[in-house]
Amino acid sequence: MERKQSFSRRFFLKTTSFAGALALIPPKAKALYTELKQRLIPTKEIMPLTVTINKKAYEVKADSRTTLLDLLRENLHLTGTKKGCDHGQCGACTVHIDGQRVLSCLTLAVMTTGKNVTTIEGLADGDKLHPMQQAFIECDGFQCGYCTPGQIMSAVACVNEGHTRSVAEIKEFMSGNLCRCGAYNGIVESIQKVAI
Amino acid sequence: MGFFDDTISLSAPPEGRVEATAKVTGSGKYSAEYEVASLCHAVLVGSTIPAGIIKSINVGNARQVEGVIDVITHLNRPMVPAFADEAKIKEARFGLPVFHTDKIYFKGQPIAMVIAETLEDATYAASLITAEYAADQFNVDFEKSYKNAELKTAGKDRGTADSWAETPSVVEAEYTIKNEVHNPMEMHATIAHWTAENELKMFDKNQGVNNVQRMFAKLYNIPAEKIHVVSEFVGGGFGSGLRVWPHCLAAVIGAKAVKRPVKLVLTRPQMFTLVGYRPESWQKVKIGADNSGKFTGILHQARHATCVYDNFNEGITRIARLVYNFANLRTESATVPLNLSMPTWMRGPGDCTGDFAIESAIDELSYKLNIDPVQLRLQNLALEKDPDSGKKWSTNFVDECIKLAAEKIQWQNRKAAIGAISDGDWKTGYGMAVGMWNAGRSNASAGIKMLKDGSITVQTAMTDIGTGTGTAMQNIAKDATGISKEKIRIELGNSNLPPAPSQGGSTGLSSISGAVAAAVNALKMKLAGFAAAENDTYKNVVGADIILSDNGISYKTTNQQFVPYSVIWEKNNLQVLEVEASSAPGDERKQLAFCSSAAHFCMVKVNTKTGKIKIEKMVCAADGGTIVNEKAAANQISGAVVGGIGMALMEEQLIDPKLGTAIGNDLAGYHFAVNADAPIVEVIFVNKPDVNSNPSGSKGLGEVGIIGAAAAIANAIYNAIGKRLRDLPITPDKVLMG
Repeated sequence: MERKQSFSRRFFLKTTSFAGALALIPPKAKALYTELKQRLIPTKEIMPLTVTINKKAYEVKADSRTTLLDLLRENLHLTGTKKGCDHGQCGACTVHIDGQRVLSCLTLAVMTTGKNVTTIEGLADGDKLHPMQQAFIECDGFQCGYCTPGQIMSAVACVNEGHTRSVAEIKEFMSGNLCRCGAYNGIVESIQKVAI
Repeated sequence: MGFFDDTISLSAPPEGRVEATAKVTGSGKYSAEYEVASLCHAVLVGSTIPAGIIKSINVGNARQVEGVIDVITHLNRPMVPAFADEAKIKEARFGLPVFHTDKIYFKGQPIAMVIAETLEDATYAASLITAEYAADQFNVDFEKSYKNAELKTAGKDRGTADSWAETPSVVEAEYTIKNEVHNPMEMHATIAHWTAENELKMFDKNQGVNNVQRMFAKLYNIPAEKIHVVSEFVGGGFGSGLRVWPHCLAAVIGAKAVKRPVKLVLTRPQMFTLVGYRPESWQKVKIGADNSGKFTGILHQARHATCVYDNFNEGITRIARLVYNFANLRTESATVPLNLSMPTWMRGPGDCTGDFAIESAIDELSYKLNIDPVQLRLQNLALEKDPDSGKKWSTNFVDECIKLAAEKIQWQNRKAAIGAISDGDWKTGYGMAVGMWNAGRSNASAGIKMLKDGSITVQTAMTDIGTGTGTAMQNIAKDATGISKEKIRIELGNSNLPPAPSQGGSTGLSSISGAVAAAVNALKMKLAGFAAAENDTYKNVVGADIILSDNGISYKTTNQQFVPYSVIWEKNNLQVLEVEASSAPGDERKQLAFCSSAAHFCMVKVNTKTGKIKIEKMVCAADGGTIVNEKAAANQISGAVVGGIGMALMEEQLIDPKLGTAIGNDLAGYHFAVNADAPIVEVIFVNKPDVNSNPSGSKGLGEVGIIGAAAAIANAIYNAIGKRLRDLPITPDKVLMG
């Protein structure tokens, strides 16, 4: 019993000191990390990228940190795709990759190698607007127009996905695309028009 | 490229806004989207404490990052002349003297700015900047502080407080609303470019290019015409673009420092601290009525937050003085300075906040009196004259708004008894409220350029933040000239165009419609002057006698005394005929009072087990005088109602009182209404002209769509479950615990 107790005490001391050491490590590691971060300034990595955007092949060099959104807007000047949050919370940057709706702000540019990207600029067929673009004009599905390209890209996907059986369903499947002007009436109406 | 998209010519353009094609194809350029040669990117670094002094800033590591051009702080920035010393800074009335002070007033205050070749370089370098501070005590806790702010009389008393002390029915309660943030979808952005020593060009997101121009003229002491501001496409404002903010000046300072054009786009988290918000507020409303339901008096007290480095008072009690007849009235207000960033006007500023309290109180009174809330309002509305100024209303159709909306939602289905409409855990309730706004008008100018083929370009410096200004200008020009729509182009949002006021406070259309009408008249008279050489009829005419068409000028009726434009152009060797004219409100504003109004009706379902609130129906009937463009006007109103849903149920900028900072500062942490949060909003217009308001007969609609919406929802929740919820937003926890 006594032995067991002393063993327990030793065990207790050992384990607590170990735990104490553990508790000490994180701030030190954090400090170390911060120090390293401050000292080691990595050079940027530029990578080659081959991607098809709006049926046109691009061979570009992209910073490994560049998102698809910034590649489109800053490097290729395809500014129709909008930055509303850069965090995947608003849907303004929605594009299609291989036919699926995708948030371009959460997609690194280098991940799109070999993929087919469609942006709002690639939706119309020459001088003929896509039916969804046409519907957004007729139903006044926007005000300031900033979320509109993302809304339209999502709306096209929403129809393709078949999520248009009711107003409630359209609203649910379009709720990843925020509109601060609150032009939701016209957005729903536009989708209904195209879905029929 | 203009506000029209000339680059895409459609085979069959659909009927819509003038800039619609540019918006649905992505070709319209918002401020961060212009291509400018040798552009570099700026990223702001914010302070990590809410109050104190900067002791040192470590920028060494940031400077080593590949691609970094410069790092700007208060220690090395090129001086802004208007910030030369403390006295001048005060005089400039700019608010935060960015990079010209070592004092910290709020957490997130810009203390440094990295300028680099790419956004990625600048963002990474900015993450390496650290600072040491001498921290001060701070206070960001409105709830704990508001009682200390002494209330002062806001406006003239009416009657006396004693006279209604013995009134049979009185309700008295306190109301609170949390900070709300504009969060337009486009983040504020500026491209600043010093094109010569003292010449500045800016692509900037704002709601008034001339305002930005004037501010920079003052800050740099250079003539306004040397500053060119372009804001053609503006991705929403809601009031956040009515001021010139520190980031905008930061970009200009940066461009001066690196002698290159600089682009600065705020991040979404920075949108919560650098471009204003609707400040947190406390209110107390006491309303009394006699047994017949006639209001006997009101006491309205309000306090709201402000910052410590500037003052802002949004006038919450103004609305108490506007809508109803109160023989006895007293309004009091105070502001509460906190170590937070500067609040500003947000859609329906002041009135939206005040209206929630008053319309909730009236609803409460209706239950006490056992009078239908619709009836109670109708019998107390001040329909003849503005109770505050005593001036006769030019037009006031708020009663019609109430009746129209009541009919639309089928108010007769409402049960006065609480929770009478029930389906398991779901209780259905009906509520209503009204909103009103002073319908203002300002001086504005417009220009017209005409070509030989009869096509015209109508121009103004005014922005179109999504309200449909450009389309309204086209409609007004079409009606006033007779020239067909296809031949009318619009140019706007550019300080090189005829000057116009900022687009705010629902005055945009009212101001610009007068200017367009004046410009059309000037065009007619100028054409008549040329036509007089061909036909004596035009020697002595007034604008009203002249009719224009796509091809020429006529007298009184189409094709009478017709003179083709081609003849005028050829004989006078003209290329472009240009006119410019301005208009301003006149004596009518001295004699009459002007208001826009709206009635909000709402049907909600409330789940008594989960606290979930579903808005089943939302109807808004509005009086905006003549409706110039019904589609855009209805969109504007329904959008504002959606804003009201956010205000009522979800919008809340959380503040951590210990850390002294805004938290949840992104669109996952701050919720406004998404598509599924709103029903299809039904909008009705009274659509009767206010001939005194301006030549188009319209009155502004931007604000009234939100004023009253939150109260209607709260009142419907009461009708459903019998809980009077006076603290916005009404989240499920409050429904369950309240």
